[in-house]
Amino acid sequence: MTCLTIFQANAQKCDLVLSGVVMDASNNAPLEKAVVEIKELGIKFITDIEGHYHFYNLCKGSYTIVVNHLSCDSIKYKLTIQQNIIQNFKLPHAINELENVSVNAKRDLNVNSIKEVLSSKVVDATRGQSLGEVLSRANGVTVLQTGSTIFKPVIHGLHSQRVLLINNGVRLESQQWGSDHAPEIDPFIAEKFTVIKGAGALKYGNDAIAGAVLIEPKALPKQAQTNAEFNTGYFSNNRQYVVNGMIESSPVKFPELSYRVQATYKKGGNARTPNYWLHNTGLQEINYSGAVGLRKEKYNTELFVSSFNTDLGIFIGSHVGNLSDLQNAINASKPTQNIDAFSYAIGRPKQNVQHYTVKSKSQFYLPNNNKVNLLVSYQKNLRKEFDRAMLSNRPELDLDISTTMADVNFETAPTKKISSNIGIVGMLQENVWAGSRFFIPNFRTQNIAVYSIHNYNVNNWMFDAGARFDYRHLRTYRNKSDSITAANRTWGNASGTLGATYKITPNFKWLINGAYAWRAPQVNELYVNGLHHGTSSFEIGNRNLRSEKALNFSTQLKYQSDSSWQFDFSVYNNFITDFINLIPSVPATLTLRGAYPTFRYVQSNAVLRGIDFSVHKTLNRSFMAGAKTALLWAKNSDTKEWIIQMPSNRIEGDITYSFANKVLQNAAIELRYMHVMQQTRIPVSILDYIPPPNAYSLLNLDFSSDVLVGKKQISVGLTVVNLLNQTYRDYMNRFRYFNDEPGRSINLRIKLKL
Amino acid sequence: MKQIKLGAICAAFMILLGSCSKNVSNPNDENEHEAINKIELVFAETGGATTSFVIEDPDGDGGNPPSRIDTIKINSNKQYNVSVKVYNIASGVIKEVSSAILEQATSHEFYFIPSGVSVTVQKTDKDKSGYPIGFSSTWQTSSAGTGSILFKLMHKTALKGPNDGPNVGHSDIQLNLPIIIK
Repeated sequence: MTCLTIFQANAQKCDLVLSGVVMDASNNAPLEKAVVEIKELGIKFITDIEGHYHFYNLCKGSYTIVVNHLSCDSIKYKLTIQQNIIQNFKLPHAINELENVSVNAKRDLNVNSIKEVLSSKVVDATRGQSLGEVLSRANGVTVLQTGSTIFKPVIHGLHSQRVLLINNGVRLESQQWGSDHAPEIDPFIAEKFTVIKGAGALKYGNDAIAGAVLIEPKALPKQAQTNAEFNTGYFSNNRQYVVNGMIESSPVKFPELSYRVQATYKKGGNARTPNYWLHNTGLQEINYSGAVGLRKEKYNTELFVSSFNTDLGIFIGSHVGNLSDLQNAINASKPTQNIDAFSYAIGRPKQNVQHYTVKSKSQFYLPNNNKVNLLVSYQKNLRKEFDRAMLSNRPELDLDISTTMADVNFETAPTKKISSNIGIVGMLQENVWAGSRFFIPNFRTQNIAVYSIHNYNVNNWMFDAGARFDYRHLRTYRNKSDSITAANRTWGNASGTLGATYKITPNFKWLINGAYAWRAPQVNELYVNGLHHGTSSFEIGNRNLRSEKALNFSTQLKYQSDSSWQFDFSVYNNFITDFINLIPSVPATLTLRGAYPTFRYVQSNAVLRGIDFSVHKTLNRSFMAGAKTALLWAKNSDTKEWIIQMPSNRIEGDITYSFANKVLQNAAIELRYMHVMQQTRIPVSILDYIPPPNAYSLLNLDFSSDVLVGKKQISVGLTVVNLLNQTYRDYMNRFRYFNDEPGRSINLRIKLKL
Repeated sequence: MKQIKLGAICAAFMILLGSCSKNVSNPNDENEHEAINKIELVFAETGGATTSFVIEDPDGDGGNPPSRIDTIKINSNKQYNVSVKVYNIASGVIKEVSSAILEQATSHEFYFIPSGVSVTVQKTDKDKSGYPIGFSSTWQTSSAGTGSILFKLMHKTALKGPNDGPNVGHSDIQLNLPIIIK
């Protein structure tokens, strides 16, 4: 009884909470990664994406609070705490204000789109994983998998050319049409991942039917700073290790100049399901990038170079020769064409992909805070896919695609009531094939576009309107028995967006938007003719395809309170005219290897509807709980049938316990539960080889903390994926016919800032 | 300064645009498939004549179905030495590629599975591990009849064993050949 009284007395004394938001003084935008420090206690908190910070278990007293942010001046604040306090901080800009303005203006381009920015906690927790896996942490985003190594992001049921990936301002151009072609981007390059759900990323293309993902590195350092960061990770399931290092500096003698170099090495071996190893599922990646920037009073300019190189093993049991091999694989409960042992070796079948990017970005400051932006980029992508070796060691698929883009735009000051961005963008792309088997022809594409995007702010309303016109020319070259022919196709069309956001209260907003996007049929959809070994199918293009048009309406209610509730409720309707889809057709293709099912590209009208809902509640000073769900209904509106290969509905729940002490700062333990339902919305007339896999549930446990060692801060994380070592298969994995998903993995990560 | 900068970038862009590779307009021949698209089965009757039966798909996978699948016609109660020859046809040029498969013999094996006819097949050649390959085999026929032979070349990197069934590995060739035993 006495003990309890003392405990309660103590608890009353040191039970206080200090929390709030750190904002940019110029525009009240929340500042992520601001460091809030209580000097007397030596404890720090790094603000999350919404600028939040909090300290628990404080005793009554006077404290000195210091708030720091990379792009702002730091402030010092004296505070007396008698009760729970909500204290917001507004940070003034550092000397180079112009650049900060430009960052904000860029954000405004998609002001009325439904966006999700991955929190820095999620970004840290997914370090070492592929881009697809990182992005799947956003609600409404799933992955299309090819085995355990190839992940493609799927937004609201759509993927490949319908999802634009904007890597450091440059639209990724590779062989993105392939469902087994993973994006050639190293997530370590970026600090911020923004998923734009639904059409609307007009500045980056007319063809974002599903959405876009902005992958952005942090700004180059300023004011004679030097920073270095070292990351490493280990994934127990496939014994994968990752090392990444970054150094950036702005020399003391020449503070207008700044640079950054960064490199990643990753090597993983065979993945293991709960019951067996998967032979030849290793991977290796070597990526590096460098950036150099120059900031002057009248302009700033940046040159960025990056290289991405990967070798990906393809599970040996998946590379079936024909339909009867496939049937044998499906009938076996455990793969028979497999060697049940660990190895780092990568043999055939495999993919080898290299991607190079060179980018030059400049901003020229005009009077009245107006600007001209110039972006020129060049990308080269070399993709080699190796089947089982037969007559030579040549790759079967060998494609070399190069893309040059230039974008010039005029941007008005973002501070005005009306802000505008008007630009012109040109693109030239060339593809050459050299494999031992024909799949897609050589081609040259030219695209020219003009766009005009405007924002209008009045009272609690924010409106935006945008229009874009594209003209596209495609010339293909073919050679059949030494007779070369060329064919031309051209397309031209407008696309546009219209949206509004109403701030019901400062924490509560309602957004509505409509967008029209279109997409010219891609070369593979028009002219593919060949064996797709990964799916043991024969794909045939259709030269008469029309462009695909999408009319997308979505609305969102979003509430964010500092210390209690957060929720995000979004509904979307995507009406697609002339939706291009690959569907099975008869007869089967007869070859000397046996019979293959034949797939042809056809067009129909489609409607994709869905709901994304997430809610978070801070329960008390230590606990936070959340739940989210993504629901999708995708129908062919001509045949009234469900569309094949769409992600099934899923729900997630999580609970987080946060704590801090002298050693562990910002420590948190999170338990995450995910349930993926069986896909029952499948077409009746299109037969799959087997019904969609059963529903499954996974538990993941994550611990993360900052540890202060001397003056150095080390961030550590330990994640257990598939905690219960569940055996399951996923409908969105094209290898669901062959093998189970990987079992439990214990992942360790360490980040060291120097 | 601004003009110089803009000018330099525009110039760089023009160079990039201008540097169209000539390969684009000079594509490879689509009809050249680096694959087996002709197979010849040579039957040598012990103390008798030698006959060849041919399967051909000159345009490779896809396009037209195989243009020629001969019916195997052999005699009852006879023994045959059978050899398999595989070819690649590209732009009308026929090249025997049996040696390429033979070099990878430790990861390949032929199968001849009769159905509806009475014939016993024995593979006579061996790879480095002492496991059967099937480029050479002896066939012993008994009574007359009509049926088919399931002819397969299985690819089994790191999987090959001494007594594999016909479903070990993945199919490089799979054909149902009609057969008449007179």
